[in-house]
Amino acid sequence: MKARVAVLVFPGTNSEEETRDLLVDCGADARIVHWSEAASLAYYDAFVLPGGFAYEDRIRAGAIAAHDAMLDAVIEGAQAGKFVMGICNGAQILLEAGLAPGTGEIRRPTAAFTHNAQGHFICERVLLRRTVAATRCAIAAALPEHLLIPAWAAHAQGRLAAAPAHLDELERDGFIVFRYADAAGATDAHLAPQGSAHGAAALTNREGNVLAIMPHPERDAWNFNHLDRREGSDPLAPSGGSVLFKSFVTALERM
Amino acid sequence: MLCFSSNSRREPSLRDLKVAELDDKALREQADTLGLALRIDELRSIAQRLGRAPSFVELYAFDAQWSEHCSYKSSRALLGRLPTSGPDVVLGPAEDAGILHLGEHEGERYGIVIAHESHNHPSQVVPFEGAATGIGGIVRDVLCMGAEVVAVADPLRFGSVDSGHEHQRAVARGVVDGIAAYGNAIGVPNLAGDCYFDGDFDDNVLVNVVALGLVKESEIVHSRVPRHGENFVLLLVGKATDASGFGGASFSSVALDAQEAQSNKGAVQVPDPFLKNVIMRASYRVFSLLRERGIEAGFKDLGAGGIMGCSAELCSAGGFGAEVDLDSVNVALDRLLPEVIAVGETQERLLWALPEEIVEEVERIYNEEFSLPQVAQNARAVRIGRATAAQRYQLRHLGEIVMDVPIDFLTGSVRDTLPVEEPKAPSMRREQDLLCDRTLDDLFHAILAHRDVCSRAPLYRHYDAVVRGRTVIPRGEADAGVMAPIRGSRLAFALSVDGNPRIGRLDPQRAAEHAVYESIRNVVAVGAEPIGLTDCLNYGSPRDARQYGELVAGVDGLARAARGFGLAYVSGNVSLYNGAPSGHAIPASPIVACLGRLTDLSRCVTLPLKEVGSHLYLVGETQRALGGSVLASILALADETVPEIDIDRIVAEHRFVLAAASEGLLRSAHDISGGGLFVTLAEMSFGCLADRRAPIGIDLDGFAGWSAAGAFESAFGESGGIVVEVADRDIERFEELAGALESVREIGTTIAEPLLAFEDEAWEIADLHRSWSRPLEELFP
Repeated sequence: MKARVAVLVFPGTNSEEETRDLLVDCGADARIVHWSEAASLAYYDAFVLPGGFAYEDRIRAGAIAAHDAMLDAVIEGAQAGKFVMGICNGAQILLEAGLAPGTGEIRRPTAAFTHNAQGHFICERVLLRRTVAATRCAIAAALPEHLLIPAWAAHAQGRLAAAPAHLDELERDGFIVFRYADAAGATDAHLAPQGSAHGAAALTNREGNVLAIMPHPERDAWNFNHLDRREGSDPLAPSGGSVLFKSFVTALERM
Repeated sequence: MLCFSSNSRREPSLRDLKVAELDDKALREQADTLGLALRIDELRSIAQRLGRAPSFVELYAFDAQWSEHCSYKSSRALLGRLPTSGPDVVLGPAEDAGILHLGEHEGERYGIVIAHESHNHPSQVVPFEGAATGIGGIVRDVLCMGAEVVAVADPLRFGSVDSGHEHQRAVARGVVDGIAAYGNAIGVPNLAGDCYFDGDFDDNVLVNVVALGLVKESEIVHSRVPRHGENFVLLLVGKATDASGFGGASFSSVALDAQEAQSNKGAVQVPDPFLKNVIMRASYRVFSLLRERGIEAGFKDLGAGGIMGCSAELCSAGGFGAEVDLDSVNVALDRLLPEVIAVGETQERLLWALPEEIVEEVERIYNEEFSLPQVAQNARAVRIGRATAAQRYQLRHLGEIVMDVPIDFLTGSVRDTLPVEEPKAPSMRREQDLLCDRTLDDLFHAILAHRDVCSRAPLYRHYDAVVRGRTVIPRGEADAGVMAPIRGSRLAFALSVDGNPRIGRLDPQRAAEHAVYESIRNVVAVGAEPIGLTDCLNYGSPRDARQYGELVAGVDGLARAARGFGLAYVSGNVSLYNGAPSGHAIPASPIVACLGRLTDLSRCVTLPLKEVGSHLYLVGETQRALGGSVLASILALADETVPEIDIDRIVAEHRFVLAAASEGLLRSAHDISGGGLFVTLAEMSFGCLADRRAPIGIDLDGFAGWSAAGAFESAFGESGGIVVEVADRDIERFEELAGALESVREIGTTIAEPLLAFEDEAWEIADLHRSWSRPLEELFP
């Protein structure tokens, strides 16, 4: 049986369809679950929080959604070991909910993806590289070593910020799963287009079942929207950033 | 303008204007006090037709409905000259948006809904909100056709943004921020656009906006009450009505006065993209409900003229009258005057005409499933009236009838006949090549760094280009944006928007023709077949014979070019009174959008050079005319002729380019526009950098000697044409396809060295890139 994945929609979410479509193309039974259907969430094996502007990014991005009734089910699931992936606004929500990096109390964030260094929204192509051991985060475990994953940074608040000591802890204990990379695979901090601390693009939790990733792999994920599409390839076939979704679904199937 | 009753809510609302008792001077004074833009003769004709003194509500209703913005009274007769039908036209320009046939997928015919508007005056006065509500409004125009909104594009014309022009700089930044804030939040990718900077827009920027939607042709919803729609319920959906946007339609129909700009701020609406995001998704749910039940309904956006304008047009288009009860409208504030509720332009609202049997379910979708009242204060779906067989338009407020007029008199066509002065085309025609004491190198760098040529990335990186994940070619990576809107299908569309104000200043008719040609050329350059056009006519005052003459010439140019290319206009907009009260108008600015079709998206062609050893061909002719070019602007050549457009030849060229693209013979392609051929070539090399590759160089070994038009004209002239890259293995087939076409010439080859080599010059691509990539960074950091 296929893994059942809920794609959560808050008022203001706007990337639910492509996120669902890519999960389906990677083998999951993925369905969009609306904020008025929070009660149905217990039925699902895993949760994906897609991009958008949930609750208009009032206060900090993700802060209000973190207190939505839908997050009750997500928090409960995450604590029971279910996989949770948040992309862009979804990642911001997971940080606000205290699920990533998850070193503090629930709904008491210890780190945030906050305002970009340039002070406004940016939309650009990026490359990501996993910079922790494959075993550190189950969701990203099936990715080959040194693989560069294409994605789009498309956010106004994507700069990781936290107290310096906490950042050191995140670095030391392998919470920073993905960093911004160049085409040669270097991951210097200055490659983060919005000035993210330690060049961080994604955080996991201590258990490795939660992934909060700022850039969108699902927007460079089929040959037709993949920058390096090979000539003659099927334009509708998954490629590029779909490898992360495939890894997510593979890990789910093994659970 | 007064928006609230002064004391109790029960104040009688039957205030009227005793038109018949006042002489012209007194009537004008009274009308001015009320903030009415209606002319004396219009006021008298209203009073005469009604046979009594019109109420304030009626006056504000006619003021909106008969404004230039709503009635097109100066332009409607002209617009009849434009071609509006053709094989790919599903719906011409009669409703809120037009529809073009994209293709078939799994037995369904799909259409692309397209709308094109301006939000010029609001953006000048309050740039952020003005530009944001421009996106908000156009998105509703597309949504109400039953479509899923899939893309927006924005042609922009800013004033001079040199240092010292702080106001113009702030306006430019505010507009870009407003477009980004709204479009990004509703999850609609920004697919295309263009941008010019010109001192003639210092007092009046142009902010045009295009939106596209996807619809199954069997499921189109029309902007009218259906034929059997007597007693259909009028269901208002969206934001609670407030006092914002009162007087918006008339505000858009007069020239801007800097002094008055501050007091006009209340006429601009307040955007709420967050609510819109929810309304869009809830409306998609309603579309599927109607489809399941086989129910035909009417759906229309509330724009100019608010509840009154929308309900009157929705009902009268179906042959009905309307009754609306203003007391049932969900309002954000107490004591709003009835005219404010009736014609105010609060954003994020739409109006359904639905049969009684389905109303409750639709209300449930908006109010409960998508919980509008929780998303924004008092937002909801609410019944406000019905369509009637009686041909009247009736409004009630506090139990009284505050408006009761023949509906056809309100919505029927008003037309002005205006004096026209034919524009003079520039007469100078150079017989000699341009002589110039500046070096090729100096000019090349100056052109690359020119604000109308340099990289637009600092601007468009503010916009989400890829949300929804269906963008094939994002803005800036080719001449047109390309999107594959249907999951599981290889069908794609291409979009480009164009119009060169420098040509507009010289030759209004040719400016229109060039806008058409450039938009088509851009679509062809990505390998898409052009299938239809929209236009936005941005001009000065129709009351000035010379400025009105520019509009007339522009419409003629649009008509001639579209007929020549065999395309129709399916949507459009006219924006007049652009200029300053001093009488200084903007350059004639016809802006055209072209939609193209790719039946197989894997055949789309991108801009970056692909491989070393390819052959570069120029498809097109170079003329000696430099009118409207960046080179002419840099050298201050004032009186130059604008290049002619030989449509028959160009149609043949485009047919050839599309044939070569469909056979996969084009490795890359880029059109020649602002800055000319050398800029085109440089940008094809720069494209490699965006692809994270080392730049491929170009040796223009075939360039020298073939041009009859002179060196500067050949390098920097803007006569159009397309440069294509053909791999060595494909040149035989390519040249066979070209056949007898004389305007296809090999001009060079691609080389491994990162150089652009021409005669004795060899420019480093990195140096050229430095000149080109940075100029807008200081404006849009």
